[in-house]
Amino acid sequence: MSDNVTPTTGAPAYALQCQDLKKAFQGVLAVAGATFDVPQGQITALIGPNGAGKTTIVNLLSGMMQSDSGRMQLVGTDVTNWPSHKIARRGLMRSFQLSRELGGLTVLENLLVAPKHQAGESLFNIFFRPLAVRREERENVERALETLKTYGLYDLRDNRARELSGGQKKLLEIARAVMAQPRVLLLDEPMAGVNPALIDRIGGYILDLKASGVTVLMVEHNLNVVEKICDHVIVLAEGRTLATGKLSDLRANQDVVQAYLGEVINASTHG
Amino acid sequence: MSAFWYYVFTLVFFLFDYFILAMGLNIQYGETGILNFAYIAFVAIGAYVTGAASLPNAAGTGQQYIMGWGLPFPFNLLLGGLVASAVAVLVAFIVLRRLRTDYLAMVLVSLSLVLYDVINNYVPLFNGADGLYNVPQPMAGIFHLTTNSFIPFFAVVTGLIALLMWFFMSRIMKSPLGRTFRAIRDDDGVAGALGKNPFGYKLTSMIIGAFYAGVGGGLIIQFGGSFNPTAWLPGETFVVFAVIIVGGVGNNVGMLVGALVVETLLIHLPAFLPEIPGHPGLIEYIDTMVVGALLMVMLWFRPQGVVPERVRKSAGMLADRARGRGRELTTATEGQGKSGE
Ligand SMILES: Nc1ncnc2c1ncn2[C@@H]1O[C@H](COP(=O)(O)OP(=O)(O)OP(=O)(O)O)[C@@H](O)[C@H]1O
Ligand SMILES: [Mg+2]
Repeated sequence: MSDNVTPTTGAPAYALQCQDLKKAFQGVLAVAGATFDVPQGQITALIGPNGAGKTTIVNLLSGMMQSDSGRMQLVGTDVTNWPSHKIARRGLMRSFQLSRELGGLTVLENLLVAPKHQAGESLFNIFFRPLAVRREERENVERALETLKTYGLYDLRDNRARELSGGQKKLLEIARAVMAQPRVLLLDEPMAGVNPALIDRIGGYILDLKASGVTVLMVEHNLNVVEKICDHVIVLAEGRTLATGKLSDLRANQDVVQAYLGEVINASTHG
Repeated sequence: MSAFWYYVFTLVFFLFDYFILAMGLNIQYGETGILNFAYIAFVAIGAYVTGAASLPNAAGTGQQYIMGWGLPFPFNLLLGGLVASAVAVLVAFIVLRRLRTDYLAMVLVSLSLVLYDVINNYVPLFNGADGLYNVPQPMAGIFHLTTNSFIPFFAVVTGLIALLMWFFMSRIMKSPLGRTFRAIRDDDGVAGALGKNPFGYKLTSMIIGAFYAGVGGGLIIQFGGSFNPTAWLPGETFVVFAVIIVGGVGNNVGMLVGALVVETLLIHLPAFLPEIPGHPGLIEYIDTMVVGALLMVMLWFRPQGVVPERVRKSAGMLADRARGRGRELTTATEGQGKSGE
């Protein structure tokens, strides 16, 4: 993967910028001053040992938790402590480490919830602009069915989402986020607990998203995957950014090897 | 009219009225997941406002109440629904922004108790513990109704109103708005991450549900001509919950079934049974116990209710699509015709 940051004129080169983010839970400093940038249009990996604060960072960036201090910017806009729905409307979507499907809704309905600002979400439009509502709904259904085909979930479209398997739920989360046409996509371990063939498929989807202009920040423990698809890596340890750069460079970094890669490399060579 | 038909139409009235009440609670709880344990308070507000708005000026009536505008039906009913909705906005801003599920439910129960005490004790509002009475029968003058013919007449009017409200409610539930409500019910955090403002939608759901509660309450005071605190003991909320749980949360047909089983057959039918000699009011107590037992049995053996929420199949959406497309094609050709092709 080559370093191909070519910011278009005027547009900020970074999709996300975090300065000194901090978040504590009853005295436990989960995020202890994380500072990093996520380049636009690329796939960035967020790696680090268990409990390093990766999920907490995803929660902060998506507005599902409020930081104690620090700032964050989304494509040039300061979104520090914005509520999650406002951040989402700015084009940031996320998936969850432990899948959170909308269980009572069907797979298709899970996708149909995602499009922003639907005409049919307003009482006024339902009763006074029914044709506009129906037209938009039809477009959304068509696009959702296409998306389900892409992600191999089409045959499950009428199943309640809670009936899906773990791997299918992972796919559903990505498909649902994609349905919202995000600019920035945060994926929290999209390949955890997924079989090798599906890992490759999900990797392919993520590369396709990059090709269509989406910026991806993904939490990932599998370094083979990181090596294959990520352009850029952020290493987190004990809530701090330890290093950023390309994986090949990081392998040479003594701190990183000690904090994280060492374990993994040792585990993979001995295990 | 014989006593028999009088009873039948009274039951019919309560069937339709509780159908309306159940639809209102269902949109809040069944669709949006708001455990509104204060629901009966919104019913009461609708009833009092409907009554007080249609009564003449309080001076000389021997009662004390606000309004007293002599507002005719159905405007007083509409006002009852709207005021209930307005109170729902207030309540939502107080409790819905921070609290969820069980904590929300506790706060709502307390709120309904507070409201109960206020209305029961602050006489100038709605005549305190005596409540409102002598509320004029709606449209009785226009249709030359007698005390007897009013009962079947108003049961039918209530049926028509219920039908209209069913139509509106099913439109809402089938729409993207209904889908977003259900997304919030299933996981409001996820809904938020998808760009939906959970508070905004819960507020909308509260407003719609409270309107149904208010109209249902307004119909009760119009039917009986009176309404007082014994009609809305805070426990009454659970009767409406029993209706929607027995019927099947999340769908309107279930609401009708629940209203039939719980409200009509279990609550009101026994009221017409002869008293057990020496034990006045015993039947009523047994009644309440039967409803409680039924609720437990349902939750244990059939939590989805008699009529479960149905899965919205894509084929149905595709059929809708086809119909929509047909219509659009005609408009497209019309457009072409006009442009001279
Ligand atoms: N809601 C919470 N309440 C209390 N402590 C929390 C909460 N969420 C996270 N923590 C703590 O914060 C620290 C970081 O957790 P986090 O989930 O961000 O780690 P992670 O890097 O995602 O780990 P993993 O790789 O295991 O998913 C942990 O010590 C965890 O116990
Ligand atoms: Mg995690």
